[in-house]
Amino acid sequence: MSTALGWLAAVALTAGLVMGFGVAPLELTQGNVQRIMYLHVPAVWVAYLAFALGLAGSIAYLAGRRPGADRVAHAACEVGTVFLGVNIATGAIWGKPTWGTWWTWDARLTSVAVVFVMFIAYLLLRQAVEDRERAARYAAVLGIVAALNIPLVHFSVYWWRTLHQPPSLLKPGSSTMPPAILAALLVNFAALALLGAYFVTRRARLLAAEEEALA
Amino acid sequence: MPDNWTFVVAAYALAAAVFGGYWRWLNRRERELAASRSHQPSRSGHPRPEPAARPPLQQ
Amino acid sequence: MAWKDLLVERRSKETLNALLFFSLALLFVFQFALGPDRERLAAVLPGLLWLGFILSGVLALGRAFLVERENDCWEGLLLAPGDKSAIYLGKLAGSLALMLVVEALVLALFVLFFNVDLGPALPGLALVIVLGTIGVAAVGTLFAAMTAQVRARELLFPVLLLPVLVPVLLGTVRVTEALLLREPLAAVAHWLQLLVAADVVYLTVGLLTFDVILEG
Repeated sequence: MSTALGWLAAVALTAGLVMGFGVAPLELTQGNVQRIMYLHVPAVWVAYLAFALGLAGSIAYLAGRRPGADRVAHAACEVGTVFLGVNIATGAIWGKPTWGTWWTWDARLTSVAVVFVMFIAYLLLRQAVEDRERAARYAAVLGIVAALNIPLVHFSVYWWRTLHQPPSLLKPGSSTMPPAILAALLVNFAALALLGAYFVTRRARLLAAEEEALA
Repeated sequence: MPDNWTFVVAAYALAAAVFGGYWRWLNRRERELAASRSHQPSRSGHPRPEPAARPPLQQ
Repeated sequence: MAWKDLLVERRSKETLNALLFFSLALLFVFQFALGPDRERLAAVLPGLLWLGFILSGVLALGRAFLVERENDCWEGLLLAPGDKSAIYLGKLAGSLALMLVVEALVLALFVLFFNVDLGPALPGLALVIVLGTIGVAAVGTLFAAMTAQVRARELLFPVLLLPVLVPVLLGTVRVTEALLLREPLAAVAHWLQLLVAADVVYLTVGLLTFDVILEG
């Protein structure tokens, strides 16, 4: 099943590249550098989807104590961290030519960075606890805290940057996006989501094999 | 507005390197585990295998 | 449980004293790092205050399960009859009391050394300190129990705790800043709501998952 998923992801990624570079029109104010968006924005969506899966896996593990749920949670959080890392790195590369700086303490950049550090800590905890069963329990608790903390981080950082009452919870501007750009964004999102799903299944299988080898 | 193609290429190349690297790491770990498992029956003949023959420690 | 911890604490006084001197040392370090410029100091005062609170809180919470570990009473915690969330609340109350005492004294020292006029801001300040400290202690107690039996716990505990506390830190610093500038509390009401929400989330997760940590 994961092989099929892998091929599907490969096809979708190719389609995503075609959409991003071939179909989507040139963005007028930024030029071609805006095409980084088709990688940058879907990566963070997939990362947050993966963390949601990690939350579900953590809760399911604490409820049912099936090792499979823990492996899904571990795999999802790790893959989510990888995607978030790609998001941050591509954001920095995009920021240099458009804002003139690799990094700025912009609201969204900062909140993503905080979430990234939280899940690095999650992976560190996984490594630090030797006993498998205990690591699974501790990581499930931390996974739940970290995932529930994401909205708090998001709001606090957003308010911290704007310093005033937020005008609206919805981000303005998404409605003005041309349909071709939106389509390219969605195709790339589907492609990266497939890639993420492929990674999660592969990683969960690998974790199962590791546990078997250690047993 | 200049196109800044180098930045676009750098972003996509970096993402490809990260995803590709992760994929290759998954493949390598899986092969290592498969190899260490297939070695196990033959190892039963030697009561104390050479240290080098043992599966590498996990970090 | 909290009563027992407080009794132990009062008898030894060791943690409280050490924490106070740690906070005092932090105060000096802040002063030396920033230089004598009073205006610059005043601008960063809320941040410094909360940095001091959180650092001393990390130390206090890191020791929350020290007694059990050193005296081999961990098994006793695991085998304790009844609801494990009572242990959580007890430990939480103990840490909270300790942290609040330290914070009150640190605040007094700040007023004294940095010549801050708190005046009418005091009730609001007390509110935000209680709200913030509950948040810090709620996650901190949970994570301290988690790292108590892990190698490299002194390192792992702050590594786990600090990123999670970012919303609490941002909220408390912003509210403190507003209070020191004599802004009305209504201007930062959304921050107070966020702090309350954080406290509720952390306390709920702590109560629900503490028995999972104490399983073994």
